[in-house]
Amino acid sequence: MKSLLVATLIAGLALLAPVPASASAQVSVFACEPEWASLAEEIGGEMVETFAATNARQDPHYIRARPSLVAKMRKADLVVCSGGGLEAGWLPQLFQKAGNAKAQPGGNGYLMAADVVPVLEKSAALDRSMGDVHPEGNPHVHLNPHNILLVAKELSSRLKALDPANTAYYQKRYEEFSRHWQQAIGRWENQAAGLKGKGIITHHKAWSYLINWLGLNLVNTLEPKPGIPPSTRHLEDLLQQVRKVPVLAIVRTPYAPGEASEWLSEKSGVPAVVLPYTVGGEAGITDLFLLFERTLGRLRETADAQR
Amino acid sequence: MRKSYFAVSTLFFAVFSGTYAMAASNPDLEALQTEIRQMKQAYEKRISELENKLAKLTVAKTETTEMAQAAPDGGAGKKIHGNEFNPSIGVILNGKYSGFSSDSSNIAGFGVGEEGERGREGLGLDESALNFAGSIDDKFYGGLTVAVVREAGEDKVELEEAYVQTLSGAGLPQGLSVKAGRAFWTFGYLNEHHTHADDFADRPLPYRAFLNKAFNDDGLEVSYVLPTDLYTEVGGGVFRGDDFPLGNATGDGGGAWSAFARLGGDIGENKSWRLGAYLLSGESDGGRSSNEDAVTFIGDSDLYAADLRFTWAPTGNAREREVIVQGEYFRRNEDGSYEDTDAGTGAVAFDDSASGWYAQAVYKFLPQWRIGVRYSLLEAAGAPAGLAGSALDAEGHDPEATAVMLDWTNSEFSRVRLQYNHEELSRGQNDDQIMLQYIMSLGAHGAHTY
Repeated sequence: MKSLLVATLIAGLALLAPVPASASAQVSVFACEPEWASLAEEIGGEMVETFAATNARQDPHYIRARPSLVAKMRKADLVVCSGGGLEAGWLPQLFQKAGNAKAQPGGNGYLMAADVVPVLEKSAALDRSMGDVHPEGNPHVHLNPHNILLVAKELSSRLKALDPANTAYYQKRYEEFSRHWQQAIGRWENQAAGLKGKGIITHHKAWSYLINWLGLNLVNTLEPKPGIPPSTRHLEDLLQQVRKVPVLAIVRTPYAPGEASEWLSEKSGVPAVVLPYTVGGEAGITDLFLLFERTLGRLRETADAQR
Repeated sequence: MRKSYFAVSTLFFAVFSGTYAMAASNPDLEALQTEIRQMKQAYEKRISELENKLAKLTVAKTETTEMAQAAPDGGAGKKIHGNEFNPSIGVILNGKYSGFSSDSSNIAGFGVGEEGERGREGLGLDESALNFAGSIDDKFYGGLTVAVVREAGEDKVELEEAYVQTLSGAGLPQGLSVKAGRAFWTFGYLNEHHTHADDFADRPLPYRAFLNKAFNDDGLEVSYVLPTDLYTEVGGGVFRGDDFPLGNATGDGGGAWSAFARLGGDIGENKSWRLGAYLLSGESDGGRSSNEDAVTFIGDSDLYAADLRFTWAPTGNAREREVIVQGEYFRRNEDGSYEDTDAGTGAVAFDDSASGWYAQAVYKFLPQWRIGVRYSLLEAAGAPAGLAGSALDAEGHDPEATAVMLDWTNSEFSRVRLQYNHEELSRGQNDDQIMLQYIMSLGAHGAHTY
C-alpha cells in the first residue's frame, strides 16, 4: 500500500517537468461551451489556445466536474462561459478545486456572456416547483447573433488587458470579425423575414434567444417544466394544442433525447427538427457563421416544405 | 470657464500694472512685474488643475451613466437590502423504511463505532442536514453543515462540517488551497461526500468498519493541483485525532496526519477516470471506543486507502445515460492493545492488520432511473489468544455484503430509492434487508462533483 502511494506521488511529480514552453506565449482560454471557444478563436487567432469544456452533444447543465476539467481550469488565463447559472452545477466546483488565481470572478480572466448581454426571462418570483429555473434568467444567450457581437467586444477588451503586447492584433481581428458579422446579420435578417410569427415547439427553453431574434412564436415546450423530462400526459396535451395552432417545427438540440419530439411529430405531422445549437452540432458546422447559416437554412427549408 | 477667468485676471493685472508703472521707479517696477508674473503663473496653474479635475469628473459621470443604462434594472426598483449576501442555504430531508431479517448485526472481528452500525429498523428519519456555504470575501470561502440524527432514542445535533477554505484570490501560489476547521476530509472517494449524495442507502462495509461512516475530524488540509494536462493533485493534513479511526480525546491534539495523491483524466470524449492513494496515520492514546463502549483500542493506527472511479456516458452526456464504476480498498495496521469489557478480556497486546474493499456499478438507463449493484468484503486480523471469543474474534469468517438498488430521480433535488441488501457479517449470520428511502434537497443548487 505504501508503495502505491509513493508510486502515485512520483508519477505526479514526474508530470511536473514537461510544461510546454510555447503555451506561455499564448493566452490559454477555457470555454465552457463550444460557441465561446469558437468566438475566442475568431478574436484571438493564433495568440490564443482554446479548450472547450463541453461539446454540442453534451447538455451544458449536466456536466461532471471531471478531473480533466480541473486540470484545464488550473492552467486557464481566461474563462469564457454563458454564465447566468447555466454552469452552476459544475463551474464553481472547478474554480474551487483548481485554485486558479488568474481567472477569478470580477477579474479580467472571468467572462460570463450573460453579464454583458440583455438577458431574457428574468423572473421576479421563483420557486423550485417551476422546475430547474435559473433566477438569473435564460442563460442560452448565444443564439441571438447581436449577443455574439456584444460578447466579442468584451472578449477583445479582455484579451487586450491580459496580453497588452498584442493589443493591435486583437483590435484588428475584432474589427474584422465585427464587420463580417454585422454584414451577416443583415443578410440573415433579410432571409428570415418570412419566418416571423411562425409557431414553434422546443424541447427545452434553450431556443428563447433565437425565437426572440427571429420573432418566432414559442407555442410550448416538450419539457413540462425546465429540466423535467417530457411526461406522457404533457405530450397528450401538446398534441391537442398542436392540432389547433399551426406549428412550423418541433425543435431540439443535438444533446436532447429524440423520443418525445419524434412521437409528437409522428402523431401531429409537424416535422421534428434537430438544429445544430452550437458549433460542432452537426458535421461541417465549424464556426459561428456556419452555425447561423445552417440554423436559418434548416428553418427556411421546413417553412418552404409546408407552403 | 477658462476664458472668463483669463479675461478677468488679465484686465485686473493690466489695470494694476498700468497704475503702478506711472508712479514707481524702475527697480520697483521690475520687482512688481516679476511678482505679477509669478501670480499670473500661479493662477494659470490652478486653473489648469481645476480644468483637469473637471474633465475627469465628466468622464466618470459618463461612465456611470453608461453602466446604469447597461443594467436597466440596477437600482431602478425599490428594494429592501440586507439579504443579498446571505450564504446559500440547503436543507436535506431524508427518511427511510428498513426491514431486517436478522436480529444481530455485529461485524465480526471489528470494533465498530456508533455510526458504522446497522441503521434503525422500521420507519425513521435518516440524517436531516442543514448547510450554509458561501464566499466570505475575496480570499475565503466558508461552510457549515449541521445534521440532526437519532441516536440512542434521542435526536442529537451533530456539527458535521464547519470549515473555511482559501479562494483563488487569496494570493496563494497557483493551484494551492488550504482548508481548515472540521470537514469531510480527502480520503478515498465517499469520505468527501455527504451521505445524501451516495448511490446507495447505506455506506459500504469498509466505511462502516474503518471510518465509522466518515472521517470529519478537526484539522487543516493543504492540497496542490499540479500544472499538468493529466489531473494531478497532492496534499496532506494534520488533525486533532479525535474522530474515528483515531481517538485520543484526552490527548493534546494534533495527533494525526494524512497524505494523498490523485490522478485523473479522460479517455476519448465519453469516458473519464480518477485514481487515488491515501494514508491516514495517528494515535489513539486516549482510547478509541467502539461496540457501544465495550471495545477499546489504545495505540497507533495507520489506515491506507486506494480508490478508483470510472464513468462512461454516450457522447459524454451524463444527463441521459451513464455508467459509474467505483471501488475502494482499505488496509489498517494497528499497534497497541485491545480490550473487550463484554467478553472480559482485559487489555490484550495487538499488532496486526485488517483490510476491506468494495466495488460498485451504477447504471443510469433512463434520465430519471438508475440501477446499481455493490459488493463489500472485510478481512479481520487474526485475533490473538487473549481476544478469542470476543467481538474482535472473526472465527475465520470474512464479513461480506451485497446490495442492489433502484432509484428514481424526479429532478436534481429529489430522489426515491429501493434497496435490497444481503449481509453475512459474522459466522452463521444471514441478514436480508430491504430499504425504501427518500432524499430531498431544498434550496441551494447542488454541485455535481466527479
